Amino acid sequence: MKTAALSALAIAIALTGTLTGQAPKKYSVPKTPWGDPDLQGVWNDATSTPLQRPNGAKDVLTDEEAVDFQASLANDLTRDRRDGGPEVDVNRAYNDHWMDARRLKITADHRTSLIVDPPDGRIPPLVQLSPERQKVRADRAGAAARFQAGLPDDFTDLSLPVRCVIRTDSPPYLPTIYNNDFQIFQSPGIVAISPEMIHSARIIPIDGRPHLTRGFNQWLGDSRGHWDGTTLVVETTNFRADDGVIFLGANAATFTITERFTRVDPTSINYEFTVSDPSTWTKPWTALIPWNKIDPGEQMYEYGCHEDNFDIVHFLVGARNRQKNPR
Amino acid sequence: MRHRRRLVLLSLGAAAALSVSVAVAQTPAYRAPHRADGHPDLSGIWQAFVTANWDLQDHEAQPGLHPELDGAYGAGPGGQSVVEGGEIPYQPWALAKKKENFEKRAAVDVSDDKKWHALGDPELKCYMPGVPRATYMPHPFQIVQGSNGTMLMAYEFTSATRIIRMNWTQEAPTDAWMGWSRGRWDGETLVVDVTGIREETWLDRAGDFHSDKLHVVERYTPMSPYHMMYEATLDDPKVYTRPWKISFPLYRRLEKNLQLVEFKCVPFTEELLYGKFRKPGAR
Amino acid sequence: MRARLLSFVCAMVLGAGATAAAHHAFAAEFDSTKPVRFQGTVTKMLWVNPHAWIYVDVKKDDGTIEEWMIETGTPNTLLRRGFTKESLQPGTEIVIDGYQAKDGARRANGRDLTLPNGKTLFLGSSDTGAPGESGAKK
Repeated sequence: MKTAALSALAIAIALTGTLTGQAPKKYSVPKTPWGDPDLQGVWNDATSTPLQRPNGAKDVLTDEEAVDFQASLANDLTRDRRDGGPEVDVNRAYNDHWMDARRLKITADHRTSLIVDPPDGRIPPLVQLSPERQKVRADRAGAAARFQAGLPDDFTDLSLPVRCVIRTDSPPYLPTIYNNDFQIFQSPGIVAISPEMIHSARIIPIDGRPHLTRGFNQWLGDSRGHWDGTTLVVETTNFRADDGVIFLGANAATFTITERFTRVDPTSINYEFTVSDPSTWTKPWTALIPWNKIDPGEQMYEYGCHEDNFDIVHFLVGARNRQKNPR
Repeated sequence: MRHRRRLVLLSLGAAAALSVSVAVAQTPAYRAPHRADGHPDLSGIWQAFVTANWDLQDHEAQPGLHPELDGAYGAGPGGQSVVEGGEIPYQPWALAKKKENFEKRAAVDVSDDKKWHALGDPELKCYMPGVPRATYMPHPFQIVQGSNGTMLMAYEFTSATRIIRMNWTQEAPTDAWMGWSRGRWDGETLVVDVTGIREETWLDRAGDFHSDKLHVVERYTPMSPYHMMYEATLDDPKVYTRPWKISFPLYRRLEKNLQLVEFKCVPFTEELLYGKFRKPGAR
Repeated sequence: MRARLLSFVCAMVLGAGATAAAHHAFAAEFDSTKPVRFQGTVTKMLWVNPHAWIYVDVKKDDGTIEEWMIETGTPNTLLRRGFTKESLQPGTEIVIDGYQAKDGARRANGRDLTLPNGKTLFLGSSDTGAPGESGAKK
């Protein structure tokens, strides 16, 4: 078992390599014809490394532990399990064919959390929330409980992703169980990032123009970028906060996010984000997620969502039927 | 060349009486700045200023769906046809279907999965508009022309996007609301071949429609620093008697620091679509 | 070592599912007290997001035909796993194993789908996520 000091050292080395925008190895990032670092292509961020370090886990797995872990994961998530009774079995229909096969891997550096700062790999504690913010959180929790029980009152009891308003397209980008693909396009003065789910591109000016005026808010916020060496730095502000559903319940008025994209080798981009909200967390926190080019043929497919979202009606009509005929 | 020009002038003359579409028969005098790969740079924010989204063909101004509520706000503008020759060449059954579409354009009922798309203009429901309709929505769109053989076209309406893959031979793996787009250069013109468009999209609010066999070929030709000509040929042997074509200018939006802003219209439609499934007494 | 890793596996998997909670849980829509198992004929497959749907005609004992809709995953993932529109043709006989919708409609989640030759579709994929999955032909 590594000592805490060795673990911290491993993290420090990983961090230093990233935060200064330099690749661990000497890699010369290719340039676009107009001289910007070239991030173009289709990238996938699927991983099973969790956002937060599980309690009691060490910081970094050894190579052997990583191999063992991935083998256990593959076995656990792809075999036909029938234990646990029907209530558990219902959810198992959400099974392997739904899921991005690339999520059976953990990050190549074998970290046990995507969060790299704070060093314990956990989201910092919340500050004392105002009564209004606490009420908003309680309301959302109530809606989620009604939904999980199969008895939503109306479509507002469903989450924004279920309603197909935003999904993984709202920054920061977090890996999920499917549709973990992003395509990057560049033209002079612009970097555009198009996530597969739900098809909304962030077209990021890198020409130094100011943000939209304060109060002009968007679901995906308003992004501005600039190059710091070979790292694209993106600052995003102006988030909407309808019903208090901004990222992890943060406060849209004081929430900011900085993302850093660095191509570290021909098939990898290091995606690092720092979120800050002094009226929600005691300090900012940072996560590092590698993006991988799988093979040259990888491509994005359209993810229409709202257009064929039959399940909204299933949830609501089902709830009304069951309320009329309770069992 | 003289003979061809005369033919072009003749057809222009005939068409002028029926539509405002313009044929781009000759190499335009303007040459757009080129990118390092030797092709025109189409990057930027563009917008059409025709009223084709209300009706591709000639149309008078008309009241909205609820004039007793929204008066002039809801009314639709009049406009001239962008269809070359003036009219869409429907097969007789399809013309009747188009009229039925129009009559039921606001009839929204999603209570039956199998009839989810049977009624109502998909635009009303905030569904992605398909091609070519996305081009003439009354919203800007942005072209981000990559340097690796791909182009992003991002539309402000419902943040719809499509990827133009240059010189791509793979067929559409499945249908998509915004279709499957393969691009190539024809001199100074970007040609985009679009297949695999979901049959549920409409071409305008007048109920104009197509089948799953629709094949669209678009041409984008820069004409000046401030505009390019857009042409789209629509071919669908299940619905039309022959291929037909629309054309109109796309204007470059010139405002300083302009950007697409979100028009995420899903929340504007949820009450319309799902309000009737609310628990009685809730909210 | 193995025991500790296994509990770690559970913790990691739960942690990794953080955003999955944003998507719906089947328990909210399908009824664990209404398991279904029947044999039917595929009539079509709707390749739509967020979920693709398989339409199946089921012949009842009295000879009547019932149409069922089976919910599956996003077509994008299916395509990346090499499952295309040609993979499940109309006319294919399959056995459905799943749970019926809570609202009593003829709709089920596809817990398990089996072809007549015994091959199971969708379950326990042999693909453990190695690189080099089928990609696009240019």
